[in-house]
Amino acid sequence: MMKLNIKKAKMHLQKIRELMSKVTSPYKGMSKQEIIEEIRKTREKLWEAKLASHS
Amino acid sequence: MLLILDSNEYIFSFGSVRDSSCEKLLDTILEHTGKISIRVPRLITEEVRNNLTPEAFKEFILFVHTFTTIDEDKVIPFELGAKYEGKGLKPADSLIAAYAQWTGADFLVSENRHFLSRQSNLPFKVINAEHCFKFIKSSI
Repeated sequence: MMKLNIKKAKMHLQKIRELMSKVTSPYKGMSKQEIIEEIRKTREKLWEAKLASHS
Repeated sequence: MLLILDSNEYIFSFGSVRDSSCEKLLDTILEHTGKISIRVPRLITEEVRNNLTPEAFKEFILFVHTFTTIDEDKVIPFELGAKYEGKGLKPADSLIAAYAQWTGADFLVSENRHFLSRQSNLPFKVINAEHCFKFIKSSI
């Protein structure tokens, strides 16, 4: 049984948001739907690369 | 209540482009971790990695390990993935759908309209962050 540590989880979440707030988005100027499509393309590429590495 | 969050939920929750619904959902899940569980497959962590800096990704892994473990993709039965490919989902989307079924998840939360448009005859519900947030607020 995993011991939940919510205080730590919140600390890490806050840290991620802080770090990423300083980064210029590669999706700047894109609509939400366009970003989702880009994320999907990345998913398919990652999956294809995984399959290729296991064949 | 078991949830699978699609990568877009994490990315919109703490990436460089944010969506308030996704942010609120993740914050709310953390507030109710006794009643809500999350499972994470390896593929989703890799997608998230592509959208974070190395330092932020390290924090993400630490974040995930505070409340769940990461399941390797190879543990997901191949037949389940093939079933969803047969329903018209792309191979990687099929893996996520298969993972949701395999884990017995109640909800697959995604902003991906390709998932959202296939809500019938699935052993789990597909909802977006906004609806999931409202559901949690109304039921907990």
